Amino acid sequence: MITVPPVNWPALLPYLVIGGGGLVVMLVDAFVRTLRKDHLTALTGLVFLGAAIAMIAVKPEPGPQLGGMLTVQMYTRFFDFLLLGIGLVTTVYGSAVYSQDGDYRPEFYPLVLFAVLGMMVLVAASDLLILFLGIETMSLAVYALVCGRRGELRSSEAALKYLLLGSFASAFLLMGAALLYGCAGGTSYAALAAVGGTGEGGPLFAVGLGLVLVGFAFKVAMVPFHMWTPDVYDGAPAHVTGFMATAVKAAAFGALIRFVTIALPGLAAHWSGLLTVLTVLTMTAGNLLALVQASIKRMLAYSSIAHAGYLLLGVLAILAPAGGDPGRPLRESAVVQAAGSGLLFYLLGYCLMNLAAFGVISQLGRSGGVEADQVDHYRGLSGRQPVAAAVLAVAMFSLAGIPGTVGFLGKFYLFEAAIRAQLVPLAIWGVVNSLLSVYYYLRVVVVMYMSDDQTEPFDGRNWETILLAGCLAALVVLLGVFPAAVHGLTSLAFGTMLG
Amino acid sequence: MEVGLTHYLLLAAAVFLVGMVGFIVRRNTLIMLMCVELMLSAANLVFVAFSRELGDEAGHVFVLMNFAVAAAEVAIGLAILMEIFRRRRSVDADDLNTLME
Repeated sequence: MITVPPVNWPALLPYLVIGGGGLVVMLVDAFVRTLRKDHLTALTGLVFLGAAIAMIAVKPEPGPQLGGMLTVQMYTRFFDFLLLGIGLVTTVYGSAVYSQDGDYRPEFYPLVLFAVLGMMVLVAASDLLILFLGIETMSLAVYALVCGRRGELRSSEAALKYLLLGSFASAFLLMGAALLYGCAGGTSYAALAAVGGTGEGGPLFAVGLGLVLVGFAFKVAMVPFHMWTPDVYDGAPAHVTGFMATAVKAAAFGALIRFVTIALPGLAAHWSGLLTVLTVLTMTAGNLLALVQASIKRMLAYSSIAHAGYLLLGVLAILAPAGGDPGRPLRESAVVQAAGSGLLFYLLGYCLMNLAAFGVISQLGRSGGVEADQVDHYRGLSGRQPVAAAVLAVAMFSLAGIPGTVGFLGKFYLFEAAIRAQLVPLAIWGVVNSLLSVYYYLRVVVVMYMSDDQTEPFDGRNWETILLAGCLAALVVLLGVFPAAVHGLTSLAFGTMLG
Repeated sequence: MEVGLTHYLLLAAAVFLVGMVGFIVRRNTLIMLMCVELMLSAANLVFVAFSRELGDEAGHVFVLMNFAVAAAEVAIGLAILMEIFRRRRSVDADDLNTLME
């Protein structure tokens, strides 16, 4: 018999608001004939705000929900707020782009809502079933978002590539989940931890785990599962690329961190070797390939791979103490705490700076069917659009990790945690890599500020987008100078997950 | 001969490998989508086999959810394929070269 677990409605309210809101937006568009794009934007914004208010106003008991299927705690709430924010920013960017193009794209709004719902569920998952459903809800919506320019081959091709490789990776994840289920006798993280912790899972358990990690590696664009990234980031409309680079990556890392710390605390010893190799490859390949890109979107795609490498360094630092001393529970170690809060802080900063950058790219508009994609298109931007140029420059400085920006502090916290976890060579390699990355980020700034002002066709202007991107850039600097409050918050949030 | 868990797992592994190799070898994107479906079916078989072995319903629930997800995935995949076919008159993966640099 399957018993129906008690439902704690207040804890699930944010998910219900986003999911229900997505359905409402979809139906309103289908049945209300006198609708304009602005109405949908406002409605979608209201849904995001409603979910945020539901999280602030209703404070449920933290803990497992729906019979342990998902867990609501401060850690997941941290990601919920981050994802809601990214969704809201993407909605504003997108509606600005579509009004510049004179294009009415009503499907964009519910798709963003459903993608955010999938991401929130993904981070909260405490069971392989919910993990899989979350990943798929997110991915299916994002496949359709990538195809956001109907009748344009670049966008459709990117979507098809992403869908084919994405569903290929999902099949691995599903097979892995099936094998883990068989070995552990259940699909919950707790069941996996019970088997994995003793190291008695046997070869099938190891294969299953490997397959699940391949699925994750694809979503976070880890080398060698990164091949789709540059093409998809390049072909998708810039506001969707921004959404993928930030929200998809944040949600996938949020779920990965929870998965490795809750479900596999005892297995680090077997996996840290392989993970170390992949981390080094991811950082290095991302940075080297970013060096030679002429297209700014492809450069940011490779840069997002490199940043995934830095984040993996943090994941390794979380796992390291458990590997050195398997008998000791993870949560007692101050190193794990430092690495985890560093990871969350880095993710937050990474999202802020990338969203600011993609905001500027998308508001420059399109010419001849392409966006302002080549670095050359930014020649002399500071003369034509000083505010946009300044925002992009701040984002680039932060991505490069120049002191005074959130990007620098994020790297500082991560590398410091890595050194405390005795990963000194890896941390040094990370610093070398981020020095290397300064070249290609600053190239954009140099082109904007130090070359002659040529009249380029790309001169779109949209005050909503630029205002929002400006606020994000201001946050990048603000958090880079006064990180204490937010860092305390991330530390607290990570602590609740270790429980 | 008694058909047991091992047989189901071997069959599932074979189906999974056929799907995987097919995905890598074939260039027709429609066939590639079908190969992914094969891989998903193999995973479903593993779930059901373990579910019976363990006497636990969770595996069946997982399989039912997978059906829904796989159907949604194919629906979106075919929509995108149609879009490309209209412009290109081809669904060959080697023709997807607009984004190559």
